[in-house]
This record gives sequence, C-alpha cells and structure tokens, in this order.
Amino acid sequence: MTAPAVRHPGELRWETRLLAVVTATLVALGIATIYGASSLVRSRGEIIGGSYALTQFTGALVGGILMLIVARIDYRVLRPLAWPLLLASILALVVIILPFTPSFIAPRINGAKRWLRVGPVQFQASEVVRLAVIIWCAMLATKKGEQVREFKKGLMPFLVILGIISGLILLQPNMSMAVLISLLGGIVLFAAGAKIGHFLLLGLGAVIGGLQVIQRAGYRAERLDKFLNGAEGTSQIYQSLVGIGSGRLFGVGFGEGQQKMGYLPYAYSDFIFSAIAEEWGFLGVCLVVTLFGIFVWLGLRIARTAEDAFGRYLAVGLTAMVGVTALMHMAVTLSLMPTTGLTLPFVSFGRSSLVVSLVGVGILISIGRMRGKPGGRLGGSAPGRAATRSPR
Amino acid sequence: MAKPAARIGLLQAMLLLGALAVVGRAGQLQLVEGAKWRAEAEQSRKERVVLPARRGGIYDRNGDALAVTQEYFEVGVAPNELRSPVRDARTIAKALKLPVARVQRDIATKKWVPYPGPYNGLEVQDLRGLRGVYLDGEYQRHYPAGPLARAVIGGLTADSGRGASGIELALDAELHGAPGEAVVLKDTRGRRYVSPSRLEREPVPGRDIYLTIDAELQEIAERALEDATREFEARGGDIVILDVHTGELLALASRSRDGDRSVTNRATFFTDPFEPGSTAKLFTAGALLTHARVDSTDEVFAENGAWRFPTNSRGAFRTINDVHKIQGNVTLAGAIKYSSNIAMAKFSERLTPTEQFEALRAFGFGSPAGVEFPSEARGELRMPHLWDSYAKASVAMGYAFAVTPVQLAAAYGAIANDGVLLTPTLVREIRDPGGKVLYQHRPEPVRRAVSPAVAARLRAYLQLVVGDGGTAESAQLANYPIAGKTGTALRYDGGRYQDGHYTASFAAIWPADQPQLAMAVKLDDPRGSRYYGGTTAAPMTRAMLQEALASRRSAIDRRQLVGPAEPTETAPAPEPEEPAVSRVVFGLPLQADTAARPGRRPVPNVAGNSLRKAANTLHRRGFRVAVRGSGLVRRTTPVAGDSAGFGAIVTIWAE
Repeated sequence: MTAPAVRHPGELRWETRLLAVVTATLVALGIATIYGASSLVRSRGEIIGGSYALTQFTGALVGGILMLIVARIDYRVLRPLAWPLLLASILALVVIILPFTPSFIAPRINGAKRWLRVGPVQFQASEVVRLAVIIWCAMLATKKGEQVREFKKGLMPFLVILGIISGLILLQPNMSMAVLISLLGGIVLFAAGAKIGHFLLLGLGAVIGGLQVIQRAGYRAERLDKFLNGAEGTSQIYQSLVGIGSGRLFGVGFGEGQQKMGYLPYAYSDFIFSAIAEEWGFLGVCLVVTLFGIFVWLGLRIARTAEDAFGRYLAVGLTAMVGVTALMHMAVTLSLMPTTGLTLPFVSFGRSSLVVSLVGVGILISIGRMRGKPGGRLGGSAPGRAATRSPR
Repeated sequence: MAKPAARIGLLQAMLLLGALAVVGRAGQLQLVEGAKWRAEAEQSRKERVVLPARRGGIYDRNGDALAVTQEYFEVGVAPNELRSPVRDARTIAKALKLPVARVQRDIATKKWVPYPGPYNGLEVQDLRGLRGVYLDGEYQRHYPAGPLARAVIGGLTADSGRGASGIELALDAELHGAPGEAVVLKDTRGRRYVSPSRLEREPVPGRDIYLTIDAELQEIAERALEDATREFEARGGDIVILDVHTGELLALASRSRDGDRSVTNRATFFTDPFEPGSTAKLFTAGALLTHARVDSTDEVFAENGAWRFPTNSRGAFRTINDVHKIQGNVTLAGAIKYSSNIAMAKFSERLTPTEQFEALRAFGFGSPAGVEFPSEARGELRMPHLWDSYAKASVAMGYAFAVTPVQLAAAYGAIANDGVLLTPTLVREIRDPGGKVLYQHRPEPVRRAVSPAVAARLRAYLQLVVGDGGTAESAQLANYPIAGKTGTALRYDGGRYQDGHYTASFAAIWPADQPQLAMAVKLDDPRGSRYYGGTTAAPMTRAMLQEALASRRSAIDRRQLVGPAEPTETAPAPEPEEPAVSRVVFGLPLQADTAARPGRRPVPNVAGNSLRKAANTLHRRGFRVAVRGSGLVRRTTPVAGDSAGFGAIVTIWAE
C-alpha cells in the first residue's frame, strides 16, 4: 500500500470533515443513551434524572470547543511539548497516589483514587495521561527513526517510561487503563517499525506479569473467572448478554430498554454498548460499529498521508486510542473479553474521557489539515501563522 | 517509507477483524439466539406476586367481633411529585392527624417522607389518588375483644398468617380464603413497578365464622372463674355453658396454673379430662332407671356413713365413706340428693359392668365430643371386662373414669334435652364475605342416651340436690330454680389419690323446669377452707346466672323464662329428632399402617363399600370416621382424592 501524495491542503478536506461529523454523531448518540440509561438510576439515594446527560452535554461543549481550537493549531507544536506533558502526567499520577495528598486535590471515588482536582476542574488523570503518552511515543519514535528496531537503544526507553506510567496507574488501581496505555504505546511503536519478535517477547512477559497483578486483586480474579467459566444468571456480564440478545434485529425501542432498571449496573458507562444494542437492536450495533469503523478508516488514512513521521505515528496512536478502546468495550459487553472498566469513546458517560477524546480528534484533524502544508515542518513557535504565510 | 504503511495496513486489518468479531457475536446473540434471550429477560423481569386474601372474621353469636383482619397502611410521600405541596401538606396532615407544620417541614426536605402509621383504610381514604402519596397496605389480624375467649379463638402463626391454634386453626380453610395472583415487573433489587401489573386472579376473601359463643356470657364466665380461683385458691378451673336444645357452646372459660408458673388459659375444657366424682352419679342412676332395677321406693342401707367394701373373697376390703352421713336406709333419689357414695355403690351392684359402661358411653363419655376444635380429649373409660368389683363401685361414685368439662356439660345437656345427646358445637354460622349464610348449625343428635321419662326423673333428682338440705343448696336462685349435682373428687396425682386435694365441680341445668342451659363448673384443687363442690362451684354457678340474668343481652331466652302463664309464648321445646341421622365418631386408636409419619394424605375411595369396610379402610389410612346414615357408602367428605391431615375426621355418607 502506498500513501497517496497530498498535493494541497484542500484536496482531502472531506476526510477531516467526515471525521468531525462521525465524532459529533457518536457524541450525540452518547448523550441520548446516557439520558435513557441513567435517568432512572438512583445514586446516593437521589434519582439521577437528567443530570448525567447534562454533565455529558457540558463535556461535549467544552470538548467540542477545544477540538475546534486544537484542529486549527499545527500539531507539530506538540513535539517539543511531549516531554513536559509526559513529566506533568507522571507528576499528576504521583500526586494522586501519594497517601498524604489532601482529598480536595485527589478525592477517593468508588474506592479508587483516579481523579485530580485543580481549582474548579476535576478530571480523571489517566485519561489525560493517555493522550500525553501517545504524543510522547510518537515524538520519541520519530526521533529514534530506524533505531526503534534495536532493543537496547530503541525499545528500552519506551519500556521504562511506559512501565513507570502503567505502574502508577495500576496503583490507583485501574488495571484496564494501564493495559490500554501500554497497548497504545505498543501500537505506536509497531507502526514505527519495531521488530515483531520484540513484541512477541514483551507480550509473553506482559501476560505473566498481568496474571500476577490479577491474582492480587480479588475482583479482577473474579472477573477473569467469570469470563473463563461462563456467566451466571445474576452476573453483570450475563445481564449484558440478556440485554443485547433481547434487542434482536430492531431493538426494543429507544428508552424502552429494561436492563437499565437495576439489572445492568453502569449501563450508562461501562456497559453503554449493551444499552444501545438492547434499544436499537442488531441494526444499532451495526451503526455504531460502522461509525467507529469509518473513524478508524479515516484516522488511518490521515496517518498514511501525514506530512511527516511524527504526524503519522501520532495519527496512528490517536486513531488506535479510539478504535482499540471502542473494540475492547464492545468485546467486554459481548462477553468476548473479561470484564474491564473501559468506556466507549465519545459515547459513555465520563467528562474527562470525552474531553480528552475530542481533543484527540482535534489533533487528528490538525494532522489531516496540515497535509500538503510543508510550511510548519520546521516547527515554529506559531505554526498556524507560519502556515498562512506560506501560500504554496 | 513503505514499511509504516504496511504496518498501518496490518493494524487496520486487525481492527477490522475485531469489528467483524463484534458484529458476528452481536448477530449470534441478537439474531440467532434473540428469542431465547428475550424470553429470559421477560422471565427475570416478571414476578408472580401473591395478592393476599383478607382472612375471614370470627364473631360471637350476636355478631360482636372477636377476630378481624384489617388492612393497615404505611404512608409515604415523595415531596417533589406533589402537585401542590401547600394544599397537599394540609390534606396529609388532616388525614394522618399530624400537625400541619410538621408535615410542611417534612415535605420541605424534598426527601422521601415515610409515615409508618399504621393507618386504617378510613384514615387514608382522602390520600388515595393524590400524586406523590404512596400507600403500602398490609393485612393485620386483630383481636378486638382482647383476651376474651382467646383459648377458643386461637391465633395465627407469625410468619404465614395461617391458623396456629383454636378456631383459627380448625377452620383455617374457611377463614383463609384464596390468595390472588398478579404479574408485576421488577428489577434486580426486587423493586416492583406496579403500573404494568396484570391481575391473573382476584383474591377471594375468607369466610366469616359466627361462633356459638356469647361474648357477654363468656365474659361473665371468665370473670367468675378468675374470681373463684382467687377466692378458693384453686390451681385452675373450667366453665362450660351450652344451650341444651342446640348443643351450642355459649361460654367456655378455663384457667390453669402449673406450679408457680403464670396463669394460662389453654382450652383445658376440651383437652384435660378429670374424674368427675359425684356429678357422674346421675348417669349410673340413669342406667338403673332405664333397666328398671330400682323404683322410687327401693332403699338400700347407708351404713351410717362408712362401709367396708369387700374387694376379694379373702376378706380384704376398702372403706367407702360418705361426707353426708345418712342414718338408716335411703332411696336412689336420696342417694343423689345427699350424694351418698355408699348408696350408689350398693345400687350399682344391680347393674352389670356392661350396663354401667353402656350408660356412660351413651352419654358420650370415652369418645370425643366432636367439637370443631383442633384438639380434644376422649376422656378415659375402660372397657367393662377390665373392671373389677371395686371399679364398678368406683364408676358409680364417679371415679375410675375421666371426662372433659365439655363432655360433662353435653351429658347434662342430654338430660335437659329429654334424653337426646347433641354434639356440642362452637360454630353457629359460616358466611361468605357478602354476608350470605353458607352454613348454619342445626342440632346434631348423637343418640338417645335415656328415654324422656328417665330424663325427667333425673331432672327431678337434680332439683332435690339444690333443694333444702341438698348438697348444692347454695346454688339455688330465688326466681328460676336450678337443677344440678355437686362433685368433690379426690385428685389422682403421681399414681395415687392425694388426701386433701380435690376437684370441686358442679354440673347443672337451668332453669330446672324448662331447661335452657347446661353447665359444667370445675375447680382444680381449691386450697382454701372450702373445697366441696357445694361450697365452691355451686355458688359460683349461681353468681354467674344472676349476672347473666341481669345483663341486657345474653343467650338466655327470656320469653321462656316468663313461664307457663302464657301458653302461646311457650313454644314447645323442639321435638328432638330420633337419631335416624346418627353421627357416630369412632375414636379408634390412630395407628396408620400406610404411613407412620403424620401429614396430609389422600382420602381413599370407599364408595360402594359397606360401612364397616369403609371405616376400616379409612382407619388404616389414619383418619377418624364419622358416619351419616346406614347401608352402602355413597360418598365421603372430604371427597375421595382430596387430602386431609392425619387424624382428620372423614364423614361417610351412606344410604
């Protein structure tokens, strides 16, 4: 496969536009589904009503504005920012897990310390870290060039940094995010040309290490056990299957789903795909898969035609961030994978995740828009302006 | 650089594979297995709920409530669902009789407000249909008369709400009704969503039971017993009052205390037999009259109050004493009047053991009286071939056999009822919830115990007892004569008769000339200075009757009391039916061959069999048998195939 050369910025503008449309469609579907799946749920004795949908809507607004802003900035400004972003991420993760951090900075929610509060803004740090790691990996892979094929000089620095970050996230605890971040880093390296033999070796090590971590946390072992030994009538995953299955071809109708009535916990986040499949049926499943498929197709198209290696790796990482997460989420709800706490990008309830995903889309669009614009390649302090100055 | 492009292509292919797997799996679940999962979902979301049926009430003969089931409500308010919080707060406060300010304060919290109550249906009437106000109803059993007649009424089990004792248990099938059924949606936490509920079957409320008990007479009896046990320092006692023309039990009081433990009122009038002593002399007298072994002038020598009764041919003897020592000879009437043990022992020598036994059997001793009650003792009456010569004398004096207070009252009722023994009953009517009478008690003759002429003679004897010089003179009423017999029996305890411990009793019919009531009053072990039946139970009876007469409404028929001056009003006592329709309960020992375990078992089909064969079959299955009619068996109640408990009575209808 050879990448089509992009001769001028306007040539493939439809790609970035379609990307934005697909994203907006998924976000809108998400808000509607969250409203349906959460409005009758009680949290701390109060009926949630429209409050989750409203929260998600504000997240969509903020994320949408950030996306538009980021899309107009040359993604290449991120290259020099990669290290500072990464170090800030590590610092944030350390602050969160330190036992003496006051709870107004790092509150404990549902038994895990995952949130960071800065002034009025509260966000799930690992969501931001996810983005920072992709940018950093893309930057380092670009810098290493052919060196990534070597183990010591090429792969080692990645392993060290990814190991530190995954370890810190594991301590929150948030195993699925740790695995996902390692996976995304791996995908960027894979795209950059790292040796497949190395991946096989690392994969083996990861499986062994992962199993040990799983055994140390009871709920994880239980989830794995449930996956391996089949779901029982009362389990979350079984209820997910009941919901999906009873959707049949056309679904039970929007808002008519019953599984959210306390049968299926977190129908608005960790199991939102199940709620969609129940209410919209097999057609809804196909629609959602198609939307994500278009997204991945467009993302990888942009990656192939990106102006430089950094853009290519970054685009691969960002696309994978959406595509792989979505796939894992769907696989979990369909009992193709053990239960994890992964959300469906753009759709599931969660403001941090939504904003970060939208910012990621903004970067992706920026990469797409910069194709055929060699002006900013040197990486100036104001690439946007630099781009306008170079008319060719 | 072609390499990255190939890698990206590989990545894309893997993601596509993943997407295909997702779609494939979804297709499998939704298209192939869809119907199964949907059925699964339906099933787990629906729940069959039992709609409890209102349990029937238990009332006294005049309709006074003794046990009723009422629906009580718990009220819950969801403040944010109220249409008009200000107006609704006032409505709620008024209905629940709470201060308005408090309700307003509760509503202002915007949180669910529970008012547990319980409130009855009338109180929450205005709250029905008010948006945001939720009523949670529950049936509760309630005994408005408090402890009155509780031994008879019984109670419910705590968990199931089924009868546990007394009438509640005996007639549970009538009272319980049939619960309804509905299908409701529910979530995993068991919260039910009522709106799409579907009623499968309406609950059918239970039937109302009207007892034969007269609450007023019952209260008089209970109070009299309480006073008497205190006054005479008795361990306990029983009072049974029944209507002699119908067999209806009007009052049943009991108290018992074991050792120093607290007083209970078990239904000892059904369950605890006692040796009746002199109150039973009348039945031997009845046998003597029936077989014409004495006439009114026959006399026996009363031995001046002490008689050595030879117990074997080698000269062994036991001394029989009389409290009321009679000099010279005495007639049968005198023997009853003065309660002479010696005279009765001597007269009884004119009867064979079988004749004596049959006389007692005829009055219903030794077999359950057949009251609708879960537990009833048969009493004790040994077969005559087991009697020795002293046992015969003992039986004549009222020892060596045991009767329950209800049996004693029923037997005296037979004497009052011209010799026909009626089955005593507790149930007067059963009505459906709409008030339609489904069952009405009719007098159920068991058998003719003695001829009307003999019954009249026996009544005449009884009048002597309470006449001048009789042992129960203190029982006499000024206006309406009472006829009765006292008894003071030594208590048999720990294998021997206990000197100084007595059972004082008095069995009576009233009024003497046109009897309406038969009574058995018994005191266990009175410890005071007085312990004779004549000085304890007899005056108690008089006090009770005086109270009953003074009360506005009791089961006493005043028109009959006006007396024979107005013949039109003295409707003749209902001609007792000859026992063409006889009801015999065989009390054979219940040793079932089919199943050693007690429990419910099917009634076998015995239609077409002879009575004897049918009864045998039923006995082997562990049932008791009541017979209606004679000839070949036509049917049974419960019908063949129905199940009934171990020891339940199966009635055989024969023609």
